[in-house]
Amino acid sequence: MGAVTYPDSKVAQFINSRIIPVQLLHDVQPYASDYNVKWTPTIIILDETGKEHHRIIGFLPPDEFIPALLLGIAKTAFDRDELDGAEADLDRLLKGYPKSSAAPEALYLSGVARFKVGHKPEALKAAFERLKQEYPSSEWAKRAMPYGLL
Amino acid sequence: MAEVKWIKDLESALSLAKSENRPVLLDFFNPG
Repeated sequence: MGAVTYPDSKVAQFINSRIIPVQLLHDVQPYASDYNVKWTPTIIILDETGKEHHRIIGFLPPDEFIPALLLGIAKTAFDRDELDGAEADLDRLLKGYPKSSAAPEALYLSGVARFKVGHKPEALKAAFERLKQEYPSSEWAKRAMPYGLL
Repeated sequence: MAEVKWIKDLESALSLAKSENRPVLLDFFNPG
């Protein structure tokens, strides 16, 4: 990550503008134990209380890392019921990085967020239909299968 | 050229996250 992804100017600009970056040695205590770090790189998205919302293990290139961070930021907002913010970042991910590995989960979570806001099952069904069409082999298409029956 | 502005202690990062209403990216790394 330190040789390829973090030096990338788009990655650095994204991080500096959207998230507070902190770097610790993999064995520094008590944090390595608190967060159950067993391998590097381990990258965790936290809220301001230190609660974990998303974890990335292993190398990602820049064009995968930015959408992975967007997903983590969106999941942090989602977990805190900040659904408008979550939807906005999920839309950014899906429009800006539709071919990324994070996109299918983002599409699934976007459908759930829209359902929680509007209480309309159509949001879940629409997410499933898009997953089936755009990411048919993803695990998230499988997880959304019940929504096709709505 | 932009560089990531790393913070080196978690408590400072959490405090900044609270004041700026932003999440934290915590990177555990191995310098090799």
